[in-house]
Amino acid sequence: MDHFVTIGQVSDIGEGEMRQVEVAGTRLAIANVAGTFYAFGDTCTHLDCSLSEGDLQETTVTCSCHGSMFDVTSGAVLQGPAKKPEPSYRVEVRDGTLRIEV
Amino acid sequence: MALSGSKSDAPDVRHCRSRADRGSAAVALREEGFGGDLVLIGAAPEVPYERPPLSKEYLRGEATLEDLLVRPPNFYPDQGIQTRLGMRATKVDLEGKVVELEDGSRLPYDKFLLATGGRNRRPPIKGLDLDGVYDLRTVSDADSIRSEVAPGRKAVIVGMGFIGSEVTASLRMLGVEVSVIARSKLPLARVLGEEIARVMESIHRDQGVEMVFEDAVEAFEGIGRVGRVRTQGGRVIACDFVVVGLGIEPITEVVADSAVRIENGIVVDEYCQPSVAGVYAAGDVANHYHPVFDRRIRVEHWQHAIKHGQAAARSMLGSQKPYDEVYWFWSDQYNYTLQYAGFATDWDELIVRGSLQQRKFVAFYLKGGRILATASMNRGKDVRQSVGLIKAGIQVDLARLRDEAVQVSDLAES
Repeated sequence: MDHFVTIGQVSDIGEGEMRQVEVAGTRLAIANVAGTFYAFGDTCTHLDCSLSEGDLQETTVTCSCHGSMFDVTSGAVLQGPAKKPEPSYRVEVRDGTLRIEV
Repeated sequence: MALSGSKSDAPDVRHCRSRADRGSAAVALREEGFGGDLVLIGAAPEVPYERPPLSKEYLRGEATLEDLLVRPPNFYPDQGIQTRLGMRATKVDLEGKVVELEDGSRLPYDKFLLATGGRNRRPPIKGLDLDGVYDLRTVSDADSIRSEVAPGRKAVIVGMGFIGSEVTASLRMLGVEVSVIARSKLPLARVLGEEIARVMESIHRDQGVEMVFEDAVEAFEGIGRVGRVRTQGGRVIACDFVVVGLGIEPITEVVADSAVRIENGIVVDEYCQPSVAGVYAAGDVANHYHPVFDRRIRVEHWQHAIKHGQAAARSMLGSQKPYDEVYWFWSDQYNYTLQYAGFATDWDELIVRGSLQQRKFVAFYLKGGRILATASMNRGKDVRQSVGLIKAGIQVDLARLRDEAVQVSDLAES
């Protein structure tokens, strides 16, 4: 069954910024791309660095450790060294509150 | 590796060796819509794989060969890419456009990409052929070194470039005692310069590595198997095994005595082409003209291998886009990630943000007020953001460059 978890407020994450959140022991990254929020796995599938500490340009996040690039909207790998995609989660905004579907 | 392909009116493209540059070129040729015959020729028995983990995760047993593959083995048949692996290309008839393989077979081509890479330099040192003396280039080299690893065993590492530094770190992480012998003054001194190389030295020292710099091996000694290393400076270091990392030499024999110019590798322009029709070169073997640095450079790093392979594929398909990617690489040692972007052989100013002592910093190598290169430790984001500045070759405001409050990506606007 679909299940939503509140992860914070819209006002917590400025445009072009990312933040790490932990849901049930799993680290997720939340990105604000021009007012739209995306949630994806925060742990880089290459060597476990935190993607929310990387660089966000439009919908591309670049890992600060080894330069792997992911599409924040889908979790897909855009450029290696990572080979496996990140999980991607649906984000819902309700009354200024961010919730993700898990 | 050579990559060759052909099909009536579509170009035929061919390649050789088991490397990322070749693999990425083959992948890119298909992704860019090349529908003709594509043959991947490689001396190594494996499908193309990436080498960076061989001195790190793979050597430490944290990654498998499968993790290293550029594409899974079934990618090649699925994409209609023929493979001739474990097979060396011996000769190319440039006029007749035919590649000759070591089994005597002859493959005609329309276009031919040389991505033959390099082989480890093995200088004539006495005892280099003793058992227990290794070098590292391939998966099987890494397997051999791995088989020697056990806590408390003693290794000597010869050379303190990237291979020597990373193998040293991996072996220490596995509990092996390590002594280093290098001609240089410091680890990675040639690339990083003295100030930053001192940080690398201090890291190895803290990890208990014994380092002998400005010295070289006189002989590896032992009865059948190495038991000690004698240096020119007169030191004698007992050991259980040795790993030699003294750089590579480009593999160019396949076009020896031909119209293709060889000088520190295969000399090519910014389109991956030597001045011979239908021939291309990419990756470690290619001494290529780079428009940003306005000179020819031969680079032995992963990102360049991937990007240069892709650039060669585009050129083979008729693109007029020059290769102007800013070189970038990383080197993980212990729990430190060193990153470097650009290319600098001499600089008149080094500006550091952060702390060398705390090993969290970014350093900018400048000449005439322009950033030629950036190096960082555990601050990769700043290196990423400096790539655009390096590529643009613009003058930066040094006061702003020193100011932590100014984002690196904002330095272009002054």
